[in-house]
Amino acid sequence: MASKPLFKFLLRRFIFLLVTYIVATTIVFILPRAIPGNPLAQLLSNLSRLAQANPETIRAAERTLMAEFGIDKPLLVQYVTFVFKALRGDLGTSISFYPRKVIDLVVPVIPWTLILLLPATLVAWILGNTLGAMAAYRRNSWIDKGVLTTSLIVSQIPYYWLGMLFIFFFGVRLGWLPTQGAYSLGTIPNLSWGFFLDALKHYVMPFASIVISAMGGWAIGMRVMVVYELGSDYSLFSEYLGMKDRRIFKYAFRNSLLPQITGLALSLGGILGGALITEIVFNYPGTGFLLFKALTTLDYPMIQGIFVILIASIYLANFIVDFLYALIDPRIRLGQEE
Amino acid sequence: MRRLLVLLVLALTVLLIAQVTIPREETVYIAGALWGPATTWNLYAPQSTWGTDQFLFVSAFQYDLGRDAWIPFIAQKYEFVDEKTIRIHIRPEAKWSDGQPITAEDFVYALELSKKLGIGPGVGWDSYIEYVKAIDTKVVEFKARADALNYYQFLSYSLGAQPMPKHVYSKLEAAGTIKDWVNDKPDEQVVSGPYKLYYYDPNIVIYQRIDNWWGKDIFGLPRPKFIGHVIHKDNPSASLAVEKGDVDWAGLFIPSVWEMWEKKKLPIGTWYKEKPYYLPDGVSFVYLNNTKPGLSDPAVRKAIAHAIPYEEMLVKAYFGYGSQAHPSMVIDLFEPNKQYINYDLARNTWNTSDGRIPFDLTKARKILDEAGYKPGKDGIRVGPDGKKLGPYTISVPYGWTDWMMMCEMIAENLRSIGIDVVTEFPDFSVWADRMTKGTFDIIISWSVGPSFDHPFNIYRFVLDKRLSAPVGVVTWAGDWQRYDNDEIVQLLDRAVSTLDPEVRKNAYFRIQEIIYRDMPSVPAFFGAHWYEYSTKYWINWPNQDNPYWFRPAPWHGDTLPTLFGISSKANPQPIPKWLETVDKGGLGIPTSKVFADLQAAKK
Repeated sequence: MASKPLFKFLLRRFIFLLVTYIVATTIVFILPRAIPGNPLAQLLSNLSRLAQANPETIRAAERTLMAEFGIDKPLLVQYVTFVFKALRGDLGTSISFYPRKVIDLVVPVIPWTLILLLPATLVAWILGNTLGAMAAYRRNSWIDKGVLTTSLIVSQIPYYWLGMLFIFFFGVRLGWLPTQGAYSLGTIPNLSWGFFLDALKHYVMPFASIVISAMGGWAIGMRVMVVYELGSDYSLFSEYLGMKDRRIFKYAFRNSLLPQITGLALSLGGILGGALITEIVFNYPGTGFLLFKALTTLDYPMIQGIFVILIASIYLANFIVDFLYALIDPRIRLGQEE
Repeated sequence: MRRLLVLLVLALTVLLIAQVTIPREETVYIAGALWGPATTWNLYAPQSTWGTDQFLFVSAFQYDLGRDAWIPFIAQKYEFVDEKTIRIHIRPEAKWSDGQPITAEDFVYALELSKKLGIGPGVGWDSYIEYVKAIDTKVVEFKARADALNYYQFLSYSLGAQPMPKHVYSKLEAAGTIKDWVNDKPDEQVVSGPYKLYYYDPNIVIYQRIDNWWGKDIFGLPRPKFIGHVIHKDNPSASLAVEKGDVDWAGLFIPSVWEMWEKKKLPIGTWYKEKPYYLPDGVSFVYLNNTKPGLSDPAVRKAIAHAIPYEEMLVKAYFGYGSQAHPSMVIDLFEPNKQYINYDLARNTWNTSDGRIPFDLTKARKILDEAGYKPGKDGIRVGPDGKKLGPYTISVPYGWTDWMMMCEMIAENLRSIGIDVVTEFPDFSVWADRMTKGTFDIIISWSVGPSFDHPFNIYRFVLDKRLSAPVGVVTWAGDWQRYDNDEIVQLLDRAVSTLDPEVRKNAYFRIQEIIYRDMPSVPAFFGAHWYEYSTKYWINWPNQDNPYWFRPAPWHGDTLPTLFGISSKANPQPIPKWLETVDKGGLGIPTSKVFADLQAAKK
């Protein structure tokens, strides 16, 4: 009986997502073009500085490139081309890394980003929420104080600093772990245990640093939420009824989990944006650096391409969460979402 | 379920066997020449992947800056038919890596294709060359255009010509896919140089030596079997790799580089053991926009030239890696260039021992006073026409820390002489847009470097109004400050269309008079040729004590001979003799000899 409101809910969400998707891609198209720069600057300046600076070479390249990227065409034409190509799955050709296709540049780094950030985000979420809930359950105990203060400190440490501390202690001083890269110098990635173990060694520091820095935020959030739920009417009422603490805690925990799931979904959806600072500090491959490069060189097609992928993945995550919510939360399931 | 798991584990164990690595002792690792993913190994692109131009495709002659000579590489010799026609004879041994001979057609095709596509090796040649044609399979002829006679361009386009494999490109041309071609399949790469691609991914690009390279009986083989460039994401991580000995050959800006060997006792070196540590490269300018009110007055520009704290700025912001440029714009740190400077004129004009512009605030104020710029109530000078000197901005891209610091120092000094200047550090693309559109006030930026046509190349780049564009229209080619002088144009044309060294020299001397009169922009300092090496695995790097190659940085287009000179630490080899000039038993033909041959061919 519950399927009709559920279907209506999902349909409405879907239409909403479609509309926001179009709006978002339009913004992604307009914003970089609003910056008063020239996307060909990087390419031409490289030519100007490195290619023996022959004026004839530069003149010719300038003309050819303008026509090549259609930058001399009206904006509306550029926009329509972008939208239609994107719909066909063609994200265009990068300007800075011409003639590589945006998709060919992004695809090889996506596995690295997923392998690093998916487990790190999940582990940080699970650990953070567990610790936060424990702290709230044993409020004002040493666990609570310990978790709260460490979380507060850890979540405020600038991430690059944490990463550099890791490199300094575990990489340079102790020499336990390699300081940079995703695998050893001179190794060609291949399917072997040797490579797997090598990559694992390089994985530890970036992974641990992300988990540690992300965990604190989850823990603090969860603690506050559980404390709030424990103080709410239904908890007090249950307490007056003489319910066991553990049982009340279980209710409070489940209710506190809902917003955390939304948070998790947003984090997971944003994963494809990469972890720029981790990638720079540990010289680890990933999408963050590519996006950074695209933004600083005003590589319009690449910015658009990465954002199209990113927006799609965030929406997908959102959609899944909506679906999960519909299942978990009886208010939505029964058609009384407000 | 359990059976499935066992099967899966078994399958994986069978699959996962030996690890693939390349031997450290046979590999030179590089940093600082590649800062992002690889683009293409096809030279018909605005930016090919580092290595393509350096190691994969070689040219007819290789220019040697240190000896000012031309080493016949693919070419065996040149021959002048008359003073406008040159024939390049191709070595009979010269072959593409797929075994096909390198022919005159490959030269002609390469240039015609560049002309057709508007991009590629030697593009722009048709502005100076009337035709390129094959005389027979191994002889190619270039004829200079009589209506645009420029001996420098004539020689650099012909001697420096790079052949491309016609049998490969003509198929792509027919399919219309040349510009999109990435050429990243090692088995399919057809190259003329001693290396080709071995492997690449977002972290590294590795080239492998071709052990049966056609030139090995003439030049020997370059020493490293593999060269690998780790793609670092920023300077600190690349510097750390150098320090750890993971990188053998680098082209990086490293703050306080001397600490590596003086304090940390690491086996790392640069060209010089002492200041300035690096060879000079191009001339960096303080460009002054000639179209802005105030800055359009030569007196103001000269005052600014005296108010730049050259020495202090280079020591504090640049770690002493460069020295003050000569106001003539000529790079006088290379001996052959000194003949082009009128030192008497420079000394008399600037009153210093070598004719460099002195940092002298009193003199700067005096110039402004005499030109009628009186200090106002706020200390800012006001011109005879009632216009204030400023507010101006001095800008470089954000993150270029050495130049940012220089801007702060210059701005402070300019304010102290009554010119209102503030610093501004926008993003690179924004800054570059203002530079090329001529909408900036004051910027620090590059010009060109040492070359066989120096100082013509720098006079042309900085002063030739034909490279300019109206304010608001982009020009990358040159004259960013929008200097407008017809006499310069005539002098430049005279200098390049004569074979008489005296006529050329006199044209340069006259240009120097004009520069000192107008000071279109200020030649500020020589930038460094970033180059570091580690002797942990490889020795015999070119340096001050062993100066066998003068463009040794991995990022430079002329760097290939470096790899023929270095040796593995375990197996030291002599530095090849062919790097020397002909009179010392080598292959290099001095540029003076080339010009003498041209003169002799005149009918």
